Amino acid sequence: MRVKGETVRRNKRQGGYDWSFLWLAVAVVATGSMMLVASDSVPERIPSYVSWTPETIAAAYSGDDFRGMLLAKRCEHCHGAEGFSDRGSTPNLAGIDRLTIWKELEDFRSRKRTSRVMEPIAESLSSRDVADLVAYYARLPVFADLQDNRNFPQARPDPSHAGMASHLVSFGDGGRGIPPCQSCHGPVAYRPGVPSLANQNGEYVLSQLEAFAGGTRANDINMPMRTISSLLTEDERQALAEYYGAGLGLQPGSSSGAR
Amino acid sequence: MNWRKLRIFILTVLALALIPATRYYQIDVPLLHFLKGSRAIDPLTLHLAGEFVENNLGTEQGADGSVTVRMIAQQYLFVPHCILVPAGVPVHLRITSADAVHSLAFNGTDYNVKVLPGTISEAQLRFSNPGDFKTVCREFCGAGHYAMRSELKVVPREQFPVLRAGERGNCAAQ
Ligand code: HEC
Ligand code: HEC
Ligand SMILES: [Cu+2]
Repeated sequence: MRVKGETVRRNKRQGGYDWSFLWLAVAVVATGSMMLVASDSVPERIPSYVSWTPETIAAAYSGDDFRGMLLAKRCEHCHGAEGFSDRGSTPNLAGIDRLTIWKELEDFRSRKRTSRVMEPIAESLSSRDVADLVAYYARLPVFADLQDNRNFPQARPDPSHAGMASHLVSFGDGGRGIPPCQSCHGPVAYRPGVPSLANQNGEYVLSQLEAFAGGTRANDINMPMRTISSLLTEDERQALAEYYGAGLGLQPGSSSGAR
Repeated sequence: MNWRKLRIFILTVLALALIPATRYYQIDVPLLHFLKGSRAIDPLTLHLAGEFVENNLGTEQGADGSVTVRMIAQQYLFVPHCILVPAGVPVHLRITSADAVHSLAFNGTDYNVKVLPGTISEAQLRFSNPGDFKTVCREFCGAGHYAMRSELKVVPREQFPVLRAGERGNCAAQ
């Protein structure tokens, strides 16, 4: 059995232990907080509220194409009765995949993509309307129908432009870091929300490439198109627009731009 | 009594030495995860919130002269496409992927950083001399892989622009 005095002394020593561990804890916490990256808070710029989560994709695929057909009467005047516009500056919607049309309409609705014409139209649509319209347009056939006065396809570009464009579409330009258009826009590979350009009007393609390069269209998630388009020369943008506008985008493989 | 003090002292020194050591060798220890927070990140929502939103990409100037570079790798490009950093200062690289596995290799150097979706890859780089580097993806990532290249410009320290708060440097700002 110990004397009382000894126990007291022991406790004091024990106190020494505690004290040193406190130091250690302080040191660790201090170093840890020093390692935390101090980030100044800047308001973030969001290109689009859409993200390709399974929920989003399910929502975009939930539409009823028959109801979409009825709603599409409102769009006919500009986008054409069969989804092919009679004006080169208005996009063709026939056969464009559901995710793209859904995203563009959502972006017009949230004003992340600006268009004086489309913003009020998209705003007047409910979420269900959007899904139904998307189902309808994605289903429309893309083969030529000579009955309506569609703008597509336009005359073939001259050989130098055609060659320049087809090289960029198939191979891109590794030296400048431009990936081939067909690796995202098809028919070689597709990605969610990337439209096929195979049946798109040349004039519209050019206007969008210029808008991406100039930053007036900035709704592409993680900036692929703003980056790529600003690496292209004006002549290349022109050539690519002529190429797609003439329907040459179909050639590398598939027989139709529809998925 | 002396022994105990010595033991405590040695343990403390070792514990503290562990921190720079794990930093230097980029060892992934649970302690660091605990202290710094998880490095997990959702590749689908990079553009909505967090440190990889558009306007936070590029070169951030640190108060200590070092810089932090944030990039996104995606099929088939790196954004920002051209990175600007000053020569001779520590460069903290933070990069993540929006889709597949990529790697960011700086041609002419032995830096090659693996980039995985869902996590932030970190690397400490330093470029002593000014010059232009091509950066390439060295991990096959799909149809457009071979064109997945971008640029890194190393400029003398005094040529690096002074950035306003919240501003991020890139080649266009030079
Ligand atoms: C008054 C003419 C007009 C009407 C009516 C109209 N649109 Fe449009 N739409 C346009 C124009 C012009 C654009 C191109 C906008 C731009 O330049 O960015 C466009 C773009 C779009 C786009 C983007 C396409 C893409 O490839 O990015 C979608 C989707 C779309 N419209 C759907 C619709 C739907 C659905 C309706 C009917 C509810 C409709 N539009 C009615 C003129 C119209
Ligand atoms: C890394 C993938 C990728 C590559 C490569 C790519 N694009 Fe795109 N492009 C996109 C995405 C994503 C969008 C859709 C942007 C959005 O969300 O609105 C898009 C949209 C477009 C549009 C607008 C289409 C519309 O209907 O509104 C045009 C035009 C276009 N791209 C042209 C091109 C051309 C020409 C090339 C080749 C030089 C190219 N793109 C290469 C990803 C890519
Ligand atoms: Cu890659």
